[in-house]
Amino acid sequence: MARPQRWDAPFDPDMTEADLGMLMKRPEFSAIDASRFPSSMPLDGILRNDCRIVQCKPGDIVIREGDYGNSAFLTMKGALRVVIKPGLPSEVLGRSEIRKRGLLGALSQLWRNSKHPEARDTTTRRTTEQDSRQHVSLFDSKDWQKIFANPPSSVTAGLEEVPALREQFQTALLRAGAIFGEIAALSRVPRTATIYSQSHATLLEIRWQGLNAIRKYDEGWRRIVDEGYRKNQLKVQLKEHPMLRELDETTLQRVADRTLFESFGSFEWNREYKQSRGRSAGGLDEPIIAREGDYTDGLLLISAGFARVSMQLGNGRRTLTYLRTGDHFGLDELYSSWTGRQKLPLQTSLSAIGYVNVLRVPANVLNELVFPTLKEPAQPLAELAKRPLTQDALLEWAVDERFINGTRAMLIDMDRCVRCDDCVRACASTHGGNPRFVRHGKTHGNAMVANACMHCVDPVCMIGCPTGAIHRTVAGPVVINDETCIGCGTCANSCPYDNIRLVEISDRSGRPLLDPDSQTPILKATKCDLCYTQLGGPACVRACPHDALRRVDFREDALLAARIAR
Amino acid sequence: MRGHTTALGNLLRDRTQWVIYLIGASIVAIAYAAIAIPAWHRAATLGDPREITGYSMLGIMLFLAAFNLRKRIPMLPLIRTRWWTFAHICGGILALAVFWLHIERIWPNGTYEQCLAALFYLTSLSGLFGLLVQRLQPSRLTQTGLEVIFERIPNEIARLRNEAETLAVECTRKTRHATLARYFVESLQWYFGAPRFVASYIRGSQTAKFWLEQRFATVRRYLNDDEQQYLLQLEALAEEKSAIDAHYAGQLLLRSWLLVHVPCVAAVLALALWHAILVHIYAV
Repeated sequence: MARPQRWDAPFDPDMTEADLGMLMKRPEFSAIDASRFPSSMPLDGILRNDCRIVQCKPGDIVIREGDYGNSAFLTMKGALRVVIKPGLPSEVLGRSEIRKRGLLGALSQLWRNSKHPEARDTTTRRTTEQDSRQHVSLFDSKDWQKIFANPPSSVTAGLEEVPALREQFQTALLRAGAIFGEIAALSRVPRTATIYSQSHATLLEIRWQGLNAIRKYDEGWRRIVDEGYRKNQLKVQLKEHPMLRELDETTLQRVADRTLFESFGSFEWNREYKQSRGRSAGGLDEPIIAREGDYTDGLLLISAGFARVSMQLGNGRRTLTYLRTGDHFGLDELYSSWTGRQKLPLQTSLSAIGYVNVLRVPANVLNELVFPTLKEPAQPLAELAKRPLTQDALLEWAVDERFINGTRAMLIDMDRCVRCDDCVRACASTHGGNPRFVRHGKTHGNAMVANACMHCVDPVCMIGCPTGAIHRTVAGPVVINDETCIGCGTCANSCPYDNIRLVEISDRSGRPLLDPDSQTPILKATKCDLCYTQLGGPACVRACPHDALRRVDFREDALLAARIAR
Repeated sequence: MRGHTTALGNLLRDRTQWVIYLIGASIVAIAYAAIAIPAWHRAATLGDPREITGYSMLGIMLFLAAFNLRKRIPMLPLIRTRWWTFAHICGGILALAVFWLHIERIWPNGTYEQCLAALFYLTSLSGLFGLLVQRLQPSRLTQTGLEVIFERIPNEIARLRNEAETLAVECTRKTRHATLARYFVESLQWYFGAPRFVASYIRGSQTAKFWLEQRFATVRRYLNDDEQQYLLQLEALAEEKSAIDAHYAGQLLLRSWLLVHVPCVAAVLALALWHAILVHIYAV
């Protein structure tokens, strides 16, 4: 068998030579010096394999605010409109509206829950045609007319231009040549705005791998992407950092101008992790960002993802802690050098857990602009090495298993759990009779992280959902809109923890719902939604009679987690 | 013995929780006494003070039974179940005290009252037994190093049985010796057939471990090097089966005490209500 190659599966298998020729002639690509690209990754190869041409009808939503995506877009023809603020209503974006149940509504679940598994009310279901569409349109929602100033009475196939939105929506037009979505694609952050097709439009969708390569080998594209990032994101990220919060605008701009942006690890870490799960090398196989013993040239600020802080111990590496968005690395050593006390090499190593974006603020910038007004750092990271090794065990496990990604991991103290399954029954009672988790999972001593959605910081399950059915609510939980889920399984395949299940649905009388064409069962993705529509929060936690079950963030609730896994 | 020691250690480690139960029960008892004693004195001068304790008893029992109802409506934002459990335990201890106050001795006169008392004692004892089991068993199950959902145990045992049978057959096919396969049919097939040594696991004794060691030692001397490799694999499967059996026994115990406790509660409540009606009928 031939070794699989990166471009074995092109993004657009239907791209023709004529399409490629047309792309190469476009000004955005004809200006690129193709000779700067290595022979293993030629420009035409990137365009042929990492790009696809997308046709949009007026009203098609191209990207949704809050979604995670792994591609950027170039407008080739037609016009698009970006909704700046406020965002479009969630139901227009194909998401479920959060409606908390009232007391009676909550109680009515006692008699309304179907006795058949995964039963759905077919009277309110969308049609199969709507379900199978890949693009959600502004006109798909029931209340689409509410967002327009002068809504047309009906939407016909001959619609050439989307009418203007109500005055309250501030929008901007994107014409041919505009590039958008590149920051979310490269930085693994949610899309910041919704963009829909104003007229018939032709777009070039470039997946992040291709975009990264073009950015790497072409100065023009690098400038466009970096300027976009610096203009829209970098200052905001720097401003959020406690150390830089006090800087005035001019100083912050000077810091931003000289800050470098770097990425480590694999963007699709979830796929590799899923294959190697349970065979942890204790971080030895992780890409090193900064090595213990080296001298650092800048402060590293984590802008997305996770990184492991470790130290050599005997024959292995000891994990001291992990860093995530907003954390920094290398401050102790840089500050010590600046004060003139001692020029210290790095006391610990930093490696990428999965995928990490790092901002490198050069040492001379810190010395000149930041350190003079900074209080001495409280506790050096290396001090963590003084605690007993036994205290590290839970952290090592949580990092190796990537449970640190969860904001609400279901942690069960198995020394307290009497295996009564009251949590499972409570979950079923609040989800139409169907439990949304399995009381089983990875264990470490007496601590178990059950197979329940952890509502991750980096929700890889949301990448690639064709309808935007899986999304993060304003309150935090990642939920699936059952109405717009088409059961494609993208989210379930992406979840590295196997916490999303595809289920075959039936009607209220228990008859399986089948696709009329293929006669195959209709599937829906299901998972824990943290009881976001229920009164009083997660039913599983409230139902545990022995206080054995908690929903934790391994960082925020470190003490609680340590107490559970004592 | 290790299982016992560790489980007991765990029980003692949870002593804070026991102290909390005791303090809780004491607070409830003091609060009850503050209300009931003046009422008792008033009733004693006017009539029968047992009315006070009787109705208190009925109230407490209804409250204790409401715990089950609470579990059936998890969708309502009522107080967390952990606090209900706490109140249920404290209420149970209080009920026993009030019961003795009510009947003014350990064992009442009259056949009906004796039936009621017997059921009440059975309910209390099963409850206390359940409390103890819930404190001891979970850590024992954790220490097996394996977690399995009770309903999946038959599947897990079937899987292990199939793997063990396949190993025995493969050993014969590959080594051209039937010793291990013959021994498997004679001795180990029984072990892999269903959960075994349930009582032993409940007691916390090492019978299963001892039995397995003996069985494997018996056959080892007759096996050549190749067969020994298969025996090692069989031993690993037997060890896994042993952990599953321990889970079966422990989880069975954790569930089965409720089969006594819940019906007894229903019976006590029915008899107590009828008792209250009779008292009023004959008081008129």
